[in-house]
Amino acid sequence: MKTFKLDNEPKIESGFKTPDHYFENFSSKVMEKMAEDEIKVIPIFQKRNYVYFAVAAVLVISLLVPAMYNWSTNSSEIDSVALENYITYQSNVNQYDLINNLGEEDIKNIKVNIAIEDKAIEDVLSLNSNLENLIVE
Amino acid sequence: MQEEQEFIQQLLDPETRNQAFQRLIFEYQRPLYSQIRNIVLDHDDTDDVLQNTFIKIFQNLKNFKGDSKLFSWMYRIATNEALTFLKQKTRKSGICWEAIQNKVIENLEADIYFDGNEIQIKLQKAVAQLPAKQQLIFKMKYFEELKYEEISEILGTSIGGLKASYHIAVKKIEAFVTAN
Repeated sequence: MKTFKLDNEPKIESGFKTPDHYFENFSSKVMEKMAEDEIKVIPIFQKRNYVYFAVAAVLVISLLVPAMYNWSTNSSEIDSVALENYITYQSNVNQYDLINNLGEEDIKNIKVNIAIEDKAIEDVLSLNSNLENLIVE
Repeated sequence: MQEEQEFIQQLLDPETRNQAFQRLIFEYQRPLYSQIRNIVLDHDDTDDVLQNTFIKIFQNLKNFKGDSKLFSWMYRIATNEALTFLKQKTRKSGICWEAIQNKVIENLEADIYFDGNEIQIKLQKAVAQLPAKQQLIFKMKYFEELKYEEISEILGTSIGGLKASYHIAVKKIEAFVTAN
């Protein structure tokens, strides 16, 4: 079999060809397409801008509505847990100040009815070795 | 180089732009067509890619820094456009490019825009067996007769690397044609 050597052969062309007059008309085809693209591109871009603005506006409003609602309904009441913590740890309000500031109504509210049978009290007292100290106090 | 700078200025000037751009198309349409056609193989696909290439060149002329020659810069855009086209084509069809390419090469005789004899078809088949980069280098060097310096500027590969790739490609092609 004869060994094929590319350099020994005359130049082999790719063999690809174009339709007749292809290159004569090509530049006008490109210029036309560019003109078409320019006409097309502008409205699409503007339309998209409107869409982006609309989406952004809806997002801002939807975020603002709950925030505004919270803002407008925000009461001056303080969270009871925060108040309790403050009184316990932060303030220099002592129990005597508290007692002085309690009204009849407040005392009624904090009263708790504990139903304890006499026998149970007796048992607790008899078992408590510090009973005497407590009585003295 | 001075002439090229003046030409680029004409392309950027709104008054002379259209006329200069038509001149640019007229001068470069044939080499860029060959480059794209050698990559995508089909004439209609080449036509689409070539039009997009010139539109892209027009849109990006203001960004042309003049670091490379206008010719190399345009060739680079054409090559990138052609390779992007191949990626899109394989993604759409779900078939790898090698399979599409082999099918096109097998049916070359039926292609109305191919006019080649037996050895031309055999050479196309041999080239199709090479890895993508070697194919590109071989086609640019052998079919389009570009210099290594030009190919290097277009593909961003060293001249040494190009020479080695071309040498290997030629050896593989010769072996394929001899065996078939």
